[in-house]
Amino acid sequence: MKWKVIVALAVSLAGAASLVFVLYKGFGQDPHKVPFMLLDQPAPTFTLKTLGTGEVVSLAELRGTPVVLNFWATWCAPCRMEHPTLDWAFRQYGNQVKFLGAVFEDTEENARAYIARAGSPYPQLIDPRSQMAVDYGVAGVPETYFIDAAGVIRDKVAFPMDRATFAAHIKALLGPRASAELGK
Amino acid sequence: MNSILGYSAVLGALACAIFGAVVGIGSGMARRESALPWVRRAAIGFFAFMLLANLVMVYALLSHDFSVQYVAHVGSRATPTVYTVVSLWSALEGSILFWGIILGTYVLAFALSQKDEHARYLSLALGAMLGVGVFFAFLIAGPANPFGKVSPVPPDGPGPNPLLQNHILMVIHPPMLYLGYVGMTVPFGISVAALLRGELGEAWTTTLRRWTLIPWALLTVGIILGAWWAYAVLGWGGYWAWDPVENASFLPWLTATAFIHSTMVHERRKVLKLWTLSLVLGTFLLTILGTFMTRSGVFNSVHSFTQSDIGPTFLVFIGLLLIFSIALLATRGQLLVPEGAIRSPLSRETAILVNNLLFVGITFTVLLGTLFPLVTEAVRGVRVSVGEPYFNKMAVPGGVVVLFLMGVGPVLPWGSGSPRVLRQQLIVPVVVGLGVIGLCLAFGLRGALPILTFGLAGFVTAITLRELLLPAKVRILEHREAPWTALVRSASKSRRRFGGYVVHLGIVLIFVAVAASSSFVTHTSGTVGLGQSIQIGDNSLKFVGFQNGAEPHRRWQAANLEVTSNGGSPRLMAPRMNFFERSTDPIGTPAVRSTPTGDLYVSLLAFSEEEKTATFNLWIFPMVGWIWWSIPILVLGALIAIWPGRRPKVALSAAVSGVATANLAKVKRGAA
Amino acid sequence: MKALLIFGLFSASASLGAYAPQQAGSAPLEPALEARVQKLGKELRCPTCQGMSIADSPASVARAQLDKIRGLVSDGKTDDEVRAYFVARYGEWILLSPRAAGVNWLVWLGPALLLIIGFAVIVRQIQRHPLERKSASPASGSDEAVEREVRSSAGTDDEYLKLVRSELKR
Repeated sequence: MKWKVIVALAVSLAGAASLVFVLYKGFGQDPHKVPFMLLDQPAPTFTLKTLGTGEVVSLAELRGTPVVLNFWATWCAPCRMEHPTLDWAFRQYGNQVKFLGAVFEDTEENARAYIARAGSPYPQLIDPRSQMAVDYGVAGVPETYFIDAAGVIRDKVAFPMDRATFAAHIKALLGPRASAELGK
Repeated sequence: MNSILGYSAVLGALACAIFGAVVGIGSGMARRESALPWVRRAAIGFFAFMLLANLVMVYALLSHDFSVQYVAHVGSRATPTVYTVVSLWSALEGSILFWGIILGTYVLAFALSQKDEHARYLSLALGAMLGVGVFFAFLIAGPANPFGKVSPVPPDGPGPNPLLQNHILMVIHPPMLYLGYVGMTVPFGISVAALLRGELGEAWTTTLRRWTLIPWALLTVGIILGAWWAYAVLGWGGYWAWDPVENASFLPWLTATAFIHSTMVHERRKVLKLWTLSLVLGTFLLTILGTFMTRSGVFNSVHSFTQSDIGPTFLVFIGLLLIFSIALLATRGQLLVPEGAIRSPLSRETAILVNNLLFVGITFTVLLGTLFPLVTEAVRGVRVSVGEPYFNKMAVPGGVVVLFLMGVGPVLPWGSGSPRVLRQQLIVPVVVGLGVIGLCLAFGLRGALPILTFGLAGFVTAITLRELLLPAKVRILEHREAPWTALVRSASKSRRRFGGYVVHLGIVLIFVAVAASSSFVTHTSGTVGLGQSIQIGDNSLKFVGFQNGAEPHRRWQAANLEVTSNGGSPRLMAPRMNFFERSTDPIGTPAVRSTPTGDLYVSLLAFSEEEKTATFNLWIFPMVGWIWWSIPILVLGALIAIWPGRRPKVALSAAVSGVATANLAKVKRGAA
Repeated sequence: MKALLIFGLFSASASLGAYAPQQAGSAPLEPALEARVQKLGKELRCPTCQGMSIADSPASVARAQLDKIRGLVSDGKTDDEVRAYFVARYGEWILLSPRAAGVNWLVWLGPALLLIIGFAVIVRQIQRHPLERKSASPASGSDEAVEREVRSSAGTDDEYLKLVRSELKR
């Protein structure tokens, strides 16, 4: 009954090899990464009030202009670090792109106090119980979504950006013609 | 200074391990017993150097020597002293160092406990164990070096993970688990020695059994303590989340338990040799795989650390171990030929064989479920989650069948049984089981799985108690012994059997407690203002105020509740939230009130000091405390089974001459 | 490099002493619907936690997601639609139990397959050695002696009683 031994040996070696292979493939993958499902999907619509003036902003009305939507919170230090970069980006590209901020998992008072100190040149949206964030698939902050003029999500960045990275993403959002006009 | 001393100690340990492994295996294969003293010395040296390295690290932690890399990583002046010592095993590199000393202790204990009559195997066994020691010493010296120098020397460190400082259980759970985990290296060494040597003698099998039972008992306690910690500390009301690292500790426990049963069949009928040895080798492999899962950063888990160089090194070791074990079993086939056969489906051998299959099946299920996210990522590029719902659906039915076997197995005789006798034996237990089911239904409990579990528990308890008490009863009737003496004498005459059945009782208790605490939970949650009450079951909880405090490493906010149950006197419960310096999310500590019938569990979800409101999550978990209370029963049973006896434990056939028996008895008595 | 930056920033954030405000979720729905909400909450994974379900997790994100489930359920969505909503935004990863499709069949059927094959092998093994009517092998050790005496005390194997009692005298 030698064939039994051979079969058993083959099965166990195959099992061992597949185990090691699967474990090996696991390296380099980040087990905590959340997949970006909404790529090239229409951005979920929302109608929310802003912090400062209380005016209502609706995504549908912004059709025709690319939108940069940044989720942040007062308790998130990387978000605070990113704040000056966002200000700079607004000054650079604010005439071509609509900038919006959305407060994530935070209270209105906290957000108001922070904006009063740090200031914000573009509208900050109040997202009650972060329902709009859940709609976008947000899993943490900061997350920035790049939505094109047709209302389709083109890009998402789930870490705080520096100026060069931001510029690169915005240029990609605006498309090749626009970035040539922008120059450097 | 600490760095240099510690690192030199690690290198010394590595040297001793290499020396011991080479000499041990070399001289063992060449059948030269004269080298054994050298292998013993290598084991002593390995232990001594590892001890030194660990002591140096503890000293560096306590003296806040931030020039040592590991201390800079987990040390902090604000941490209380107890947790500073605990931080030895709180992070990756320190835990591998801790592994080293535990391995050294086990190898030394084994080396010293074996007398020279086992010299034939001892060199090989110690050599194999020290071979494993080479791997770990290499890890500590290389990829996982905790003794690196840091410069410039930082003034303070971040402190250990806040979760680890919340509860005293954190002090006991990892060492216990390690003692179980690392201890599996010893049976691995013993079985490798037997396979390499080409003989599997009975005395050596006894050694294998005993040295598997010891880490098995410790691993059991370690796992249950881990569940207790999850319950008492994490605040989500559960004790087992099928987290990859929890599964990693569970897998070797399953195969080790299967081994303990399989070895009984091996001893009596000389069959199931391949099963038995595969289970031992598999247990050790699973401990290394489990360590890989915890430390490689490949898995998304509560315990997981970030990816480091350790992962690939472990993977190579796992690969080598797999090839080595398969090759060993394949080439030693003649050793594993059964000397008998299982002749009847109604025999204990069959029951244990089925038990083996079931345990391996559950092990496979848990392993597959834990690895599956990696499988889909490798195949489809998409990661899926395999969590509690899957494991509960798949593993729980298997557990219920195991419970059934725990009852049927002891009733079936060795060899072949007559159905008539069997039926007679089963009458009382079945009646008890059905009675329990009837009681449950009468009390209004519903749910097929828990009620079946309770019925089976009654069935198994009746059988187990009879097996435990009947020998004592015979002694009382025949020898007119006092009941307690009869019990003790009957236990000491068959320690393994008695201890095993006591352990069975403990396991039944766990089954019942798990079934009750997961199927009949009462849950409510709500927000209350100051002075308002929230009800759950017979309890009324009134929110009476906030309390806060600050300690060097954390500050906390508690919500005080006055709890009145059944109109008794009010008691105070104060679930809290702990805010640690290094974390943006607070970590909650639940307030738990335990009674024999169940726990009232309150966890603080949210609070507002301005509005004076607090949000609570409340549960009543019936019988959950019995899970932790099974620990003494399990430990008692294991101790009884492990305890060495005066008489030879080995099964001697009547043909053995009286002289040999007397000599062996003399040696054992001398050794006892 | 990026990872180092983020790590540095996160530790910096912690030292600023800011915490996510612990806000309570929305009010529970009526019992039948709330039961559905909790059940679905147990099936979906909290994205920022380690393997915990939305219903079990204390994280504020999880509470926001449970609120979303409540909203969807009270809007009249079916269980499948709620699951599809989350999968469309977070990926298959958000389901704690893999969907039975394609490769996933391996994890659902694999264990059963192993058990069936194993049983078949065992049955064949035992059938090859049919039951013989001989009595069991002789006493070999104190454990088996005790076994036999337990059985004999059940009153059915009288012929072993004497053997057992003489062994007990040891």
